[in-house]
Amino acid sequence: MSASDITYPQLAAGYALLLLPLGMFLWYGVSLISETVLSVLRMTAQLLFVGFYLQVVFQWNNPWINFAWIAVMVMVADASIVRGCGLRVGRFAFPLAVALLAGVLAPLLLFLFVIIRPNPILDARYVIPIAGMILGNCLRADIVGIRGFYEAIHKREKTYLTALAAGATLQEAVLPFMREALEAALRPTIATMATIGVVSLPGMMTGVILGGADPMTAIKYQIAIMLAIFTGTAITVTLAIYLTLSGSFTPYGMLDKDIFKSGKHR
Amino acid sequence: MTDAIRIDGLTVNFGGVHLFSDLTLAVAHGEKTTLTGPSGSGKSTLLRCIMGFAPCAGGNVFVNGENVTHQNIWQVRGQLAYVAQEPELGEGMTRDALTRPFSYRINRRLAYDEQAALRLFAAFLLPVALLEKPAGALSGGEKQRVALIAALLLQRPILLLDEAASALDNASKQAVRDYLCARDDLTILSVSHDIREFALSGAIANMTEIQQETPS
Repeated sequence: MSASDITYPQLAAGYALLLLPLGMFLWYGVSLISETVLSVLRMTAQLLFVGFYLQVVFQWNNPWINFAWIAVMVMVADASIVRGCGLRVGRFAFPLAVALLAGVLAPLLLFLFVIIRPNPILDARYVIPIAGMILGNCLRADIVGIRGFYEAIHKREKTYLTALAAGATLQEAVLPFMREALEAALRPTIATMATIGVVSLPGMMTGVILGGADPMTAIKYQIAIMLAIFTGTAITVTLAIYLTLSGSFTPYGMLDKDIFKSGKHR
Repeated sequence: MTDAIRIDGLTVNFGGVHLFSDLTLAVAHGEKTTLTGPSGSGKSTLLRCIMGFAPCAGGNVFVNGENVTHQNIWQVRGQLAYVAQEPELGEGMTRDALTRPFSYRINRRLAYDEQAALRLFAAFLLPVALLEKPAGALSGGEKQRVALIAALLLQRPILLLDEAASALDNASKQAVRDYLCARDDLTILSVSHDIREFALSGAIANMTEIQQETPS
């Protein structure tokens, strides 16, 4: 038993749904029409590509190719986070990629080697969707955390300098900001965990149920993935801040304003 | 004997604007110097240079004879106490602002002394109840005095004050001035845009007079 396929004409009917929101936009003069169409086209193209690609990857089912695909996902996430934070790509891309890789691999490997133990252990069917879910969910939290951290030090420079003046090391002076950043980044995931199942039936669970598994199996997967997402987010935010710390401050401990992309921070 | 602070030919450009050049100033141990000059002449920046908070384009800063560099600034800050203009006390209660610095490794040999804090509260005409108030809710004048108390509790030999009495009423100003001038052990460099408003007992240095060439 598995999810029944959707034929292309049937999917086309799905696109007809769009006429409703587009009609609303037209009626109320909401200027989102071209943006919506463009986004839907992008979504379609990207997913078609991924669907095609995953078919091939699942056929090969080679651990190295799986890993290479994770690396590609990390790089795309990396670029989108750095851009979302308004920070300079040159300074942040590499340390953030290291943080993302660690934040994805640690929970992923635990997932594979301890929780699910598929055979083969690095089965593409498990490796790629789980890595993708962890990464996709880290994305927004990482932007909130990393951006919040550097923006807060910039905006509340006086508080930061008070700590330096009192003799704090760089690590000691950034600690309160680190604490805030982690809070801001993780609080939404904590709230999601508290309401999950009641307010929304999460995507992975839906997928596993549609795939033909019984609901108890589905919730076990969902619990494991939530824990993996939460841990992955905590790892990436913390690591990303620590790894970018030394490059973002002058030797005197002052925040280097050049880390910000736009001129508004001068 | 070396000076507590010596500034030698210091030049500072700020955001591409020339602020001051070839500035020379010395403050001997225990001396209480007031630095004055018009707004925008770089008085605050001079203090920030000593703290390593502002980059210098040329010249040297010596603290207790030691040439300040990016390598030793972290130790040098352990000899300096600094009260910023319109200081911010950070999160938490006023007491947290006073105790927080003692959690830093460099201050571990010291311990927060509540009795000493209370004596300073009395000396600066501050109600003790402020200790239990959120630090962010304090008035400008209260923040200035609490920041000064936080700096004094660290028992650093050199005190740098940036318009430290600007938000104080006359009675508090007098109380702060009396206390600071009576501390023979403290070296103080105090910035004040108007010496009629606030000046310490020692020398008065004028920004325009301590530079080789006045900025055009």
